[in-house]
Amino acid sequence: MSRRRFKPQIDHNSEFELDLAPLLAVMVKLVPVLLVSSAFVQMMIIETELPQVVQQAIAKEEKKEKPTVVTLDIDRETGVKVTTNKNGKETVRSVAMVNKTDFNFSGVKEVLIQVKQENPEVFKIEFNPAANVPYKEIVKMMDTVRKSNDNKIQFPVTDEKTGTTTQTDFMFPEVQFSNVTDG
Amino acid sequence: MARTRFKIDTKKNKSFGLNITSMTDMFTILLVFLLQNFAASEVQIDPVDKLRLPTSVSDRNPVDGIKISINQSELKIDQKTIAAVTNNEVDKSSLDPSDSNFIKPLFDELQKINAELVAKKDVKLGRILLQADQELPYSALRKVMYTASMAGFPNLKLVTTVGN
Repeated sequence: MSRRRFKPQIDHNSEFELDLAPLLAVMVKLVPVLLVSSAFVQMMIIETELPQVVQQAIAKEEKKEKPTVVTLDIDRETGVKVTTNKNGKETVRSVAMVNKTDFNFSGVKEVLIQVKQENPEVFKIEFNPAANVPYKEIVKMMDTVRKSNDNKIQFPVTDEKTGTTTQTDFMFPEVQFSNVTDG
Repeated sequence: MARTRFKIDTKKNKSFGLNITSMTDMFTILLVFLLQNFAASEVQIDPVDKLRLPTSVSDRNPVDGIKISINQSELKIDQKTIAAVTNNEVDKSSLDPSDSNFIKPLFDELQKINAELVAKKDVKLGRILLQADQELPYSALRKVMYTASMAGFPNLKLVTTVGN
């Protein structure tokens, strides 16, 4: 007598329903937790955000007896004046206002790229805003001077330890308000 | 002939299955959105009432420091009001008569905080997180910066919102 092999009967056309209740229970608990802990207004801070090589270059520049000083005078009437003082010699470049009301940020960036190309060792810039310049314009100006924001425009930085030269898009990341203590 | 009243056939003990697929879809979308917005920063800065921060492209997360805020009506340290602000300038009654940039109550409060921080060797030492309204002129901010540096807080961090 031959033995018949047991064959389970599978209906390939049958439908089944996935139990979503446990998944929903997890989500119902997770959503309120995330709603409470989420910050919908994302805040950041502005400070020096430098790679180590750039920091070393700044330290080297500060050790110099007569470092090159780049100053930005910001005024709502006359516009922006970029002054470079290198070895006692002063170079002044002015960027006028657009329609007498708005600062020409792209014009300032163009001038600063030129200044940076002439002085790649300088990373510090001094800000001298006039009393009536709004805070938002100062922040915008800080964004303008910090980086070139263009991969094609890079500046050389030499690593003091290895002696190798690398490229960076940082222009003047160290902003100092030089007229804070003025009378 | 008596009329029989129509009776709806309801079985009180009968169970029914609720379709929760669409609700699960909704929760999945909500969960993804919330996870995306979840703040990874270790320091939480609470937005101050009636204060619009400027936008910046800076991508630096906030660090711990003494929180000073200035809007068009008041100057505060954390939640404590230090001085009034009128016509976009710190009220004259709070300024030192011999030095127009020196905010006396702010200096006194910061000195007190500084002494505590020095004793505790706190990480906030010398650091200020400044939340200032975007429309305020530099002259108002300058007074805060000047007073803070005089009180032993030279390390200033400007709080901004993320934007282009």
